[in-house]
Amino acid sequence: MKRWLKEDLWRHAIALVTCFFVLFPIYLVILSALSPTGSLQVTSFIPKTISFRNFSMLFNSPKIPYLVWMKNSLVIAGVVAIASVVIGAASAFAFSRLRFKGKKQGLQLLLLVQMFPAILSLSAVYVIMSRVYSFAPRIGLGTQPGLLLVYMGGAMGVNIWLLKGFVDSIPMELDEAAKVDGASAVQTYWLIFVPLAAPVLAVVSLLSFIGTFNEFILARLFLVDMHARTIAVGLQGFISGQYASNWGPFAAGSIIASIPLIAIFLSLQRYIISGLTAGSVKG
Amino acid sequence: MFFLVAFVVGPILYTVAMSAFHYETGNYISKPEAITQILSTGVRPDANQTTFDIVIGEDSAKNLEILASDPTNKKYFISSATSKIDLDPSTLKIDSNGDVAAAPGFHALTPSEQSALDATLGSTRFTYSSDYFITIEGGTLGSLKRQTLVYDKASDTFKDVLTNSVYKDNGTGDFANVTNKADILQPGWRAPIWFSNYTKLFTDPQIRKPLIRVFIWTVVFATLTVLTQFALGLLIALVMNRKLFGRRIYRSIIILPYAMPSIMSILIWGGMFDTEFGAINHLFGTHVHWFQSPLYARLAVIIVNLWLGFPYFYLISSGALQAIPAELSEAAAIDGANSRQIFRKITLPLLLQVVSPLLVASFAFNFNNFNIIYLLTGGGPANTLGGDVAGSTDILISYTYKIAFGAGTQNLGLASAISVVIFFIIASISLYGIRRSKVLDSFA
Repeated sequence: MKRWLKEDLWRHAIALVTCFFVLFPIYLVILSALSPTGSLQVTSFIPKTISFRNFSMLFNSPKIPYLVWMKNSLVIAGVVAIASVVIGAASAFAFSRLRFKGKKQGLQLLLLVQMFPAILSLSAVYVIMSRVYSFAPRIGLGTQPGLLLVYMGGAMGVNIWLLKGFVDSIPMELDEAAKVDGASAVQTYWLIFVPLAAPVLAVVSLLSFIGTFNEFILARLFLVDMHARTIAVGLQGFISGQYASNWGPFAAGSIIASIPLIAIFLSLQRYIISGLTAGSVKG
Repeated sequence: MFFLVAFVVGPILYTVAMSAFHYETGNYISKPEAITQILSTGVRPDANQTTFDIVIGEDSAKNLEILASDPTNKKYFISSATSKIDLDPSTLKIDSNGDVAAAPGFHALTPSEQSALDATLGSTRFTYSSDYFITIEGGTLGSLKRQTLVYDKASDTFKDVLTNSVYKDNGTGDFANVTNKADILQPGWRAPIWFSNYTKLFTDPQIRKPLIRVFIWTVVFATLTVLTQFALGLLIALVMNRKLFGRRIYRSIIILPYAMPSIMSILIWGGMFDTEFGAINHLFGTHVHWFQSPLYARLAVIIVNLWLGFPYFYLISSGALQAIPAELSEAAAIDGANSRQIFRKITLPLLLQVVSPLLVASFAFNFNNFNIIYLLTGGGPANTLGGDVAGSTDILISYTYKIAFGAGTQNLGLASAISVVIFFIIASISLYGIRRSKVLDSFA
């Protein structure tokens, strides 16, 4: 019995230290979000006064369109998540099950393209989008639809690979059985593959949602207008100038923005983990 | 598929193409545009800096005109872009300043009409003599100028009519003085220079030195990041790989950094490392200038990245640990192996087999982890006095970003060349990882 205690004690110690490491910054954010001074300056780790001034500033200040940013982020991330899954699933199915010319090359191209440092084609994307803008101002540079298009292109490769890994693991016999029963490729896709892959599809769309929500560089380059910005760009604007200047509202904003992501993550962690490993690890 | 081609393959090809061009601040535009710009800036005021008092107006056919007065010489004329008509002073009403405000056939424009024409007003050249012309300097002032740089289309050269120097296309995107190569006309244009950007990477010491330094740090950074993240993740996974009171709570807390928007976490850490007000110095009672010293800045980057990334490896490792059959370690235990031997000889090799492709992927990802560097340290601290853009924590990608979009001279051509080099590095690392994970075997 004593040995058990001894064994568990150090485990608890390590776990607790790690939790402290993890929670320290998070605690600090909460602290500064609730502090009335609005800085990350720490005088004491236990709050003396609690104020919701920073939160009310986010929602009431006319200079900070926080809700608009939040909406922008959710809309952009949502559209990317749905679209990338729709396109990704169809392509993954095609790459895994159908036979067509250039399939192998297509897959290799996808993989290769994914390795190109995306940020460095930034300038090229910028130039291309400014050209697009000159003849189609609605989807060019500085617009959200334009940003969406770029995101979708970028997300495609990873998703197709991730999904293909899953499709490959669906037994071929199911397809064959469907074929024997007279199903076409389209029917096999909708009636066999989509229902089976639903959990994975959900994970992929979630991951693209989170990824897009987190994206910063392209969004900052594209969305100059205050009301078109996403939450990441908007919040970064608070503190990019002087440190310790606007930490209060920044912290409050981060907390609110993190809540949906953390909620999604914690509730679906089991699926997300399996999704992460499905595409890359094969037994 | 269309999007992929349009927004991934397209930009890549474009980047590769750009890397073969002389494409930097001062050489952004195409050659015809550059010629037009040189022509429009290649004008000088005449030797006496003559100015005229003018009234902006138009003729009966709505052509833009100016009514110019030269009070000292008592000369008056109406000039348009195409013609100049001298007026007889005796027919005009001259005010006390010696100016005229009206003339027959001339309609002055109201200020609001003028502002509607703002763009054309500034660029219109009003006729004066064969060499000289008048441009509008302000609402009522015109100055006499002359085109000093003349372009000769047949020989593709510019000639300065004052000094008689000839400027010739030097083949790398500039018009250079034939007698003095360093004397070039601004702006230049983007010209194909093929592999010069690449050879510069290896031969120009001003580029090569920081590049090598940055490259070494990039590798160190990516390696250390992956190792620390994996080590801590694995440790936690091992610690919690048994029934432990409160395991679910620990687990939920530990994956928080992975779930939080990483941009925000990075920015928060940035604030925490602040020397004066930061929580880190406060917590440990130190006064470390985290972002001023190269060593501490690098340490900070690694710590923050550890915080961000270890939960991922914790998740992966704990998943992999559970997949290892318990029979193996039981069998080893029966054979008399102690727990350390079991870990080293059985658990770790099996685990590594599963996670090594992910380690490689993570290495490749961190090799290009722009966000953390850009948002945490901005690549600094940099020795800006030496004119060096590369900071101590700059990794290749942030360094390249600075070259392409930085505050000083922006050199897209060179940046593109570095991108292509990075691409080959990453591609070979990833291909190695893929070979090992045998994903390519499934091509059929």
